[in-house]
Amino acid sequence: MLVYTMRRVLGAIPVLVLASILTFVMIDVSGDPLADIRMQQPPPTEEVIQQAEARLYLDRSMPERYWLWMTGIGGNGDIGLLQGEFGPSTQGPQYEIGPAIAERLWTTLRLVGAAMVFALGLAIITGVISALRQYSKLDYTLTFVGFLALAMPTFWLAGIMQAAGVKFNQLVGEQVFATIGDGRFRAQGEPLGDQLVNAFAHMALPTLVLMLISFASWSRYQRTSMLEVMNSDYVRLARAKGLRNHVVIRRHALRTALIPLTTVVAISVAGVIDGAILTETVFQWRGLGDFFITAVDNNDSYALMGWLLLSGIIVIVANLVADLLYAVLDPRIRYE
Amino acid sequence: MTTEYMNEEHATAETGDDVVLEVSDLSVTFPSDDGPLPAVREVSYVLRRGEALGIVGESGSGKSVTSMAIMGLLPRNARVEGSARVLGQEVIGLDDKAISQVRGKKIAMIFQDPLTSLNPVYTIGYQIAEAVLAHRKVSKQDAMKRALELLEIVGIPSPEQRLRQYPHELSGGMRQRVVIAIAMANEPDVIIADEPTTALDVTVQAQVLDALQRARRETGAALVLITHDLGVVAGQVDRVGVMYAGRIVEMGPVEEVFYRPRMPYALGLLGSLPRLDGDRSDRLTPILGSPPSLRDLPPGCGFAPRCPMARERCHQEEPRLLLTNGDTGREPSEAGAPTVHTAACHFSDELVGVGAADLFRPGEERPETTEGEPEPKNPVEPDVLLSATDLVKHFPIRSKGILRRKVGEVQAVSGISLDLREKETLALVGESGCGKSTTARLLLNLIRLTSGEVTYMGRPLQGLSDRRMRPLRKDLQLVFQDPFASLDPRMTVSDIIAEPMRIHGDGHRDARRRVKELLELVGLDPEHGSRYPHEFSGGQRQRIGVARALSLNPRVLVLDEPVSALDVSIQAGVINLLEDLQDELGLSYLFVSHDLSVVKHIADRVAVMYLGKMVETATTEQLFSAPAHPYTQALISAIPLPDPIKERTRERIMVTGDIPSPANPPSGCRFRTRCPKFANELSDVERTKCVEEPPELLDRGAGHRDACHYSEVVELI
Repeated sequence: MLVYTMRRVLGAIPVLVLASILTFVMIDVSGDPLADIRMQQPPPTEEVIQQAEARLYLDRSMPERYWLWMTGIGGNGDIGLLQGEFGPSTQGPQYEIGPAIAERLWTTLRLVGAAMVFALGLAIITGVISALRQYSKLDYTLTFVGFLALAMPTFWLAGIMQAAGVKFNQLVGEQVFATIGDGRFRAQGEPLGDQLVNAFAHMALPTLVLMLISFASWSRYQRTSMLEVMNSDYVRLARAKGLRNHVVIRRHALRTALIPLTTVVAISVAGVIDGAILTETVFQWRGLGDFFITAVDNNDSYALMGWLLLSGIIVIVANLVADLLYAVLDPRIRYE
Repeated sequence: MTTEYMNEEHATAETGDDVVLEVSDLSVTFPSDDGPLPAVREVSYVLRRGEALGIVGESGSGKSVTSMAIMGLLPRNARVEGSARVLGQEVIGLDDKAISQVRGKKIAMIFQDPLTSLNPVYTIGYQIAEAVLAHRKVSKQDAMKRALELLEIVGIPSPEQRLRQYPHELSGGMRQRVVIAIAMANEPDVIIADEPTTALDVTVQAQVLDALQRARRETGAALVLITHDLGVVAGQVDRVGVMYAGRIVEMGPVEEVFYRPRMPYALGLLGSLPRLDGDRSDRLTPILGSPPSLRDLPPGCGFAPRCPMARERCHQEEPRLLLTNGDTGREPSEAGAPTVHTAACHFSDELVGVGAADLFRPGEERPETTEGEPEPKNPVEPDVLLSATDLVKHFPIRSKGILRRKVGEVQAVSGISLDLREKETLALVGESGCGKSTTARLLLNLIRLTSGEVTYMGRPLQGLSDRRMRPLRKDLQLVFQDPFASLDPRMTVSDIIAEPMRIHGDGHRDARRRVKELLELVGLDPEHGSRYPHEFSGGQRQRIGVARALSLNPRVLVLDEPVSALDVSIQAGVINLLEDLQDELGLSYLFVSHDLSVVKHIADRVAVMYLGKMVETATTEQLFSAPAHPYTQALISAIPLPDPIKERTRERIMVTGDIPSPANPPSGCRFRTRCPKFANELSDVERTKCVEEPPELLDRGAGHRDACHYSEVVELI
């Protein structure tokens, strides 16, 4: 098991390096970070441009800049991922990318984490119920809801939810749902109960939106995999042993039916991050989504690279975790 | 510990009479989009304590569904009617709580495929202990102790270690023994074994049947053995029931049914079987047609459309299962007294003294069986068409990491030499993993040789470019094992058969005529060319596969297990077809098979393979009358004979264990790890030779060659 884990972790390193190169090159060739300065009226002096170029290290060659971005050796101390510096920003020398990302990471992870946990739980429950009651009214209803969620674009679903939240607030005459902002600073210093209410008010709708997107497909997967397992020989043998139905379902069917879902969930992490960008935009959260859009708007290449690399790392780590989890769930994987 | 359990168990059993399972008028219907499917119709039988009942029938006859219904394991939408009593207790329609107290405790079940019967995520020990804990209030430690004891009973070596292993670490034969251990965990009164050995190799089948016998001795359980293999039934059961189209059509003591069948289907089934103890020159007797679709069963006897003696009455009135005891008036059967022989046929009296051939091939001239040696086929040695010298094929094993380093190799074929002569059938036999299919593919130059040489009519094949190989492909054609996977479902049968001609760019002008000719040649309606493969049955599809292979007028056909996916009554027809085609077209066959009975019937010469090596080669007569290599002997004696008396009294040479991994074959003689001679007869000095020196394939005279240091002829049939 230890050897397996080590091998998996070591295997992730070249993927990460490759991801960083790809990220760097793609951002580097797409767009000029100084476009805004150059477009200024009246045109800035050559000196100003050269200063900006030097500050953003644009006076060096691309391989040099990649090396600098990774290690920070030969820079001004504001660059080098290995030293914990993300590089200078086009949004001014006082704007620090690292702390900005860190601050927003928490906001987004809270949303993504909550959405994924709820989606997973609900997907497993509905998937199992659908499979056990195959072709029943309940199954058809759940299937319908699933496909409805699957068919709706995220921005649309988010928009509807927001509108519905506003409507609901009007109906009860009280602000149950906050439909704008992440509300992080609202309840600071207040009693714990108030903090929770505040967090719920702000998180409920975006989480619901993000949850529905992944829930729909995961629940379908869970249903299929559960059906397959329920028809398997070992479930029949478990019954033939004289185990009660609920024991068979929990111990023999559910346990094995969860294995394929692990991979599906890991793969869809990238999709959930996509969804988070859109959801955050609609609900005007200051999360990583907002950070990303601001960075694109400002041609802020180091910020963008930092963001891309971070989401790349999240995806790779999620897959690594899935791989390791797979080994725990399925003994056939372990010793190979 | 066993004794405790047994006492407790037997106390409850003695209170009833000695009937442990009574099935009466059991019917199972599945709903479908095209109306209800009656899978089982009015099945009744009685099983007494300690008795073994065989249920035989072909796929779709309802034999498995019956036992699933008794166990309550059918899907919810199945409609089950009638009654099944286990120790007097009705089990049909019980709720989950009640039926789970019967399952595993009073009645246990063993399924067909050991590779899928065990949950891959739990250890062997856990899964056996789980069965114990389901019915007994004992501690987990005690349950594990019991599991260990059970593994010992079913003959699993080093059981303590196995308890902690997962199913994928065990071979198929081992896993089936674990399933048997689970079945006997609570000393059940009835064990239902549904095709328990069908997925296993013959030598392993013999071991598993042995374990099953031991389980029965230990528990005193009665057995219902469901199988399509008449040989297995002959040796294992006291009584046998034959099922056809959802009904039991004949039932009685196994000797009665095998020697004096009174229902045309049972008679036909026995006649269509190639037999190890049969004469090669006897033609097989196929049953024409195929089993009826359950969707539209004929109104009268289900077998009437295929029955040569069917009359008006058979098509109108379904015959009941009646006593066959001669002319004293036929009464309805009393529920299965042990000696009663019943059959469902209006005219069963007419079958007295009738053989399968008399009934199914009347008027067909049958050459009298030649006494003694069959006349030599051809005094002059025919030309060698396809020749292989020292074929070696190693597949690399690569590491799982991204570097994919080569960490070893599977020695699939290690030095095989053979010659296929004109108009002869050479059979390549052996168990799974012996390299027979790989050898066949090497001969056709479909995969690259590691070393060695293949020549076709003196011309080496290896190193030929695809373009230069293509003209030769016309002469060398292939028929695959699985008739369902080897035909493109999106092409019509005409297109499938014409495709090779199209590829070779000849005969498209009269392709249509040629396709009709070929369809007729393989015994199909030439007008059916525009249909798609799914409209045909398995046997018909295999005929289409043969027609496709013949479309280019090949000289050599490589047949890779061509009949092993077919039911016996269908298999006979395909075997006869292959024999006819050989006579008519002068084909040479390389017949790859694991089934020695079929091989004995069809082959002129046989080559036996074990772990990539050839261990014995001889003419069919030589090999079956005087097998010299211990492996060949074991293989022959592991094949069950469909003859109850012979099967129970014959001498057996059993091998132990499973085939070692071809990635790491034993030194010296590769068979020594399982060799009964090595284990029981040889002295230590003699053994050293087996361990150190790989035996050469040496001629024992008359072309009979074997690779054993201490080979010795034994007569087995």
